Amino acid sequence: VNKNKDKKAKPQRPLTKIILRRLPATMTEEAFLEQVSPIPEHDYFYFAKPDTSLGNNIYSRAYINFVNVDDIYLFRDKFDGYVFLDEKGLEYVGIVEYAPFQRIPKKKKKKDPK
Amino acid sequence: PEAPAQPKEEEAPMHQFIRKILHEDLQKTNEEKILRLMRKLNWEDTEVSTVAILHLAGGWRVRASARRALARLTAELSAWQEVVAPAVVDTIMEEIRLTLEDPHPRYNQRRIATVRYLGELYNYKLLDSRDVFTVLYSFITFGVSNDHSNVSALDPPENVFRIRLVCALLETCGAYFNSGSSKKRLDYFLVFFQNYYWFKYSDPYWTEENKFPIYVKYIYQECLSTLRPKLTLFESWQQGKDAIEELRQTLYPELGEEDYENEEQGEDSMVD
Repeated sequence: VNKNKDKKAKPQRPLTKIILRRLPATMTEEAFLEQVSPIPEHDYFYFAKPDTSLGNNIYSRAYINFVNVDDIYLFRDKFDGYVFLDEKGLEYVGIVEYAPFQRIPKKKKKKDPK
Repeated sequence: PEAPAQPKEEEAPMHQFIRKILHEDLQKTNEEKILRLMRKLNWEDTEVSTVAILHLAGGWRVRASARRALARLTAELSAWQEVVAPAVVDTIMEEIRLTLEDPHPRYNQRRIATVRYLGELYNYKLLDSRDVFTVLYSFITFGVSNDHSNVSALDPPENVFRIRLVCALLETCGAYFNSGSSKKRLDYFLVFFQNYYWFKYSDPYWTEENKFPIYVKYIYQECLSTLRPKLTLFESWQQGKDAIEELRQTLYPELGEEDYENEEQGEDSMVD
């Protein structure tokens, strides 16, 4: 059978980047970190404020790239379905999923001479 | 009717500045200059970088003629600010996901522009063909029942907009799926896409009096014949189902039912 005929096909890397969706719109990065800390070993974290032009669908979200795949499941078990509160006490049920886009910034950082 | 406009908070001058240079000033001819301005921002300041990323992801906000320039500028800026590329693509992916979760037609114009912008970002290598196909498959599977008697709120019979989203994305970057694994991916995808089209087209919601929108049919046919001029299109839903069954036999002989389902959905969700 046709197995890996395509030389370009790379072995699938495990998915390591997750998104935590449907967080309160007004949540700050600091408040988020306070609630979920400590985040297991990770090499990327990005907290995204909502795009307020999206009408009813205004949520914050967070991306985390985990170093150890097993940590993902522990994190999912804890925060998928976790209720986050905004400052008015409104409840937001967080959803943990694999991020559809798995790329993260490269490590090496060159300074922009501008 | 829209709710009365909320009194808007005055936007910070730096935000206004970023918005203006990216969404009003940017054209093909002044891209270098605007790139230099963008590089000069204080990227260490989270508030500034957050706003910059949001506006760089706002491909729908610019004139169609400036869309490519914004994509190129985002790509070039990413060489200096590496956080930009993933954050911009993530933002657009999330917007597309929200589109699927809330199919209200109010944002349709914006959705088409956003999807075209994602295609441009692929053309500037900010994402892989694999990522483009993740999005394409999400359009034809997310909340899709594949069963006319089981109406999905996320993909209701009268809403045929997802067909247009697929076509908009393929029109923008499909021409590059012409060799190697991306060509194969497109060939397989077109089988599933045709099946989806026929699933929508043959829905009993459409009748002699209430016909399937002809312009959507034309957009679909035009899209496929441009990408694959020699392809013979399916002429019924049954043909689509048969073709998928055949793929299943030849392509995934060693996979069980469950794996096949995952493959077909191309969905990474862990919550399902």
